[in-house]
Amino acid sequence: MLEIIANYFTLDWQIPILLSVVCVSLASGVLSPIVVSSRMAFFSDAVAHSTLAGVALGMLLAVDHPATLMIGFGVIVALLIATLRQFTTLSFDTLLGVAMAGSLAAGVLLYHKVKGYAGLHGYLFGQVSLLTWTDFYALLFNASLAILMVLLFGNRFLLLAVSRPLAQARGIRVARYEFLLIILLGLVVSLSVRAVGLLLVNALLIVPAAASRNVARSVKGMFWGSVVVALISGFVGLFGADYFGLPPGPAIVVVAVALFLVSQVFRPLFGHHAAEA
Amino acid sequence: MSAVLQTHGLVRTFGGFVATDHVDLSVQAGARHALIGPNGAGKTTLLRAILGLVPYDGKITVNARVGYVPQRLQYDRTLPMTVLEFMALTLQKRPVAFGVPTRVKRRVLELLDAVGASKLARSNLGGLSGGELQRVMLASALQDDPQLLLLDEPAAGVDIEGEATFNELILKQVRERNATVVLVSHDLSVVSDITNHVICLNRVLKCEGDAHDLLTAETIAEVFGGGKAVFGHHHHHH
Repeated sequence: MLEIIANYFTLDWQIPILLSVVCVSLASGVLSPIVVSSRMAFFSDAVAHSTLAGVALGMLLAVDHPATLMIGFGVIVALLIATLRQFTTLSFDTLLGVAMAGSLAAGVLLYHKVKGYAGLHGYLFGQVSLLTWTDFYALLFNASLAILMVLLFGNRFLLLAVSRPLAQARGIRVARYEFLLIILLGLVVSLSVRAVGLLLVNALLIVPAAASRNVARSVKGMFWGSVVVALISGFVGLFGADYFGLPPGPAIVVVAVALFLVSQVFRPLFGHHAAEA
Repeated sequence: MSAVLQTHGLVRTFGGFVATDHVDLSVQAGARHALIGPNGAGKTTLLRAILGLVPYDGKITVNARVGYVPQRLQYDRTLPMTVLEFMALTLQKRPVAFGVPTRVKRRVLELLDAVGASKLARSNLGGLSGGELQRVMLASALQDDPQLLLLDEPAAGVDIEGEATFNELILKQVRERNATVVLVSHDLSVVSDITNHVICLNRVLKCEGDAHDLLTAETIAEVFGGGKAVFGHHHHHH
């Protein structure tokens, strides 16, 4: 293992890749408990799928940095979903299903118009091996933002996840924090898409906390467990993919899911919470 | 004595349904009021309006720190969270994921102790029984030293044996803190145990007065519309 890691650092261009993966893992690791507890999993998936339309639009308009438009588009779709939610009697998952189907289809159509299907897989499954220092800085910003938000508002997001009416009664402006969480997720998801791909970014926001919830009995355990699972997945997936000549994005997710399965096996030893009632 | 809570011409409608219709209330400091009425009479709505959780027409003035015990809280029982962490969420700025400082721990234990639940601090929030949950909710409502306690069916989910103890517990806290109480319940034994003043609500204010005078078969029949409500047990004189 050490040899694989040592080998890895012999190539300069791999350093921003490694650091970028650390940033993506950190961002998803700290946010995952909030996403899972707030039942926002499907929401972040919908945002991820919308980013393709952003990229395609960027290429169509021949913008210098299509990625910027991708992020903007992700946030706009996040806001659109949040707004629509206020004005519909449909359930949230139905609304997300519509948004996801619509934005993905529009994205593929737009993309096809510009490039056919060439390079489409890069957006779907990520292009970790093409990450540069510029990507790293974007992802560093991403991770810092995620950590800052958890530091500042983590308790409020959690109380909101426990019970919206209770949070409201405690004087928390729930609409404001729901809005904030939506924008935050919109940003983080769109920024991570380039690295892990839109089909996989959501896995990183769900699997770490899903795994840690299996064995944790406290918020503290769930949080740090999620961070550890995300970081291990990032490292093992990256180095493993390098060693076996596999694409890193899916490899990272496979490692995360493997850790989840392990947590599921060990679950009876730890958790006896999740009472019926 | 001064009024800690006043409502004037309070109207709350949703979807064409009038939940409360021009309700005028005045709650004096130290009073213990019960809001009674049948299901759908607007009791919970009135409480939610007082808490500022729902929009309304009319005027509400609250001159007190408010503590609120919600009606049988629905929450995600699979969430890994200890009672200590739950209470700490609103007592500390630092994310509870980074630990609970000794100062906050002490305060939480003090609050839990006041409701006889200090042994629950390390328990998982999802694993609490109905009675345990209501104790934790009461402890949590006491955290800002409230002058006005709003209790929405506080004994809902508490088993029958536990109910009398739980009522005594509420009363003890209220007396120690000299708090004003507005309690919503359609369990008349809870009403007679805890409160001394009754407000009958059925979308409009039906009657108001001393608990002993009002909790008669006629008033109950009038308010509940069928005389179905029966006393759980006799009055306690505290």
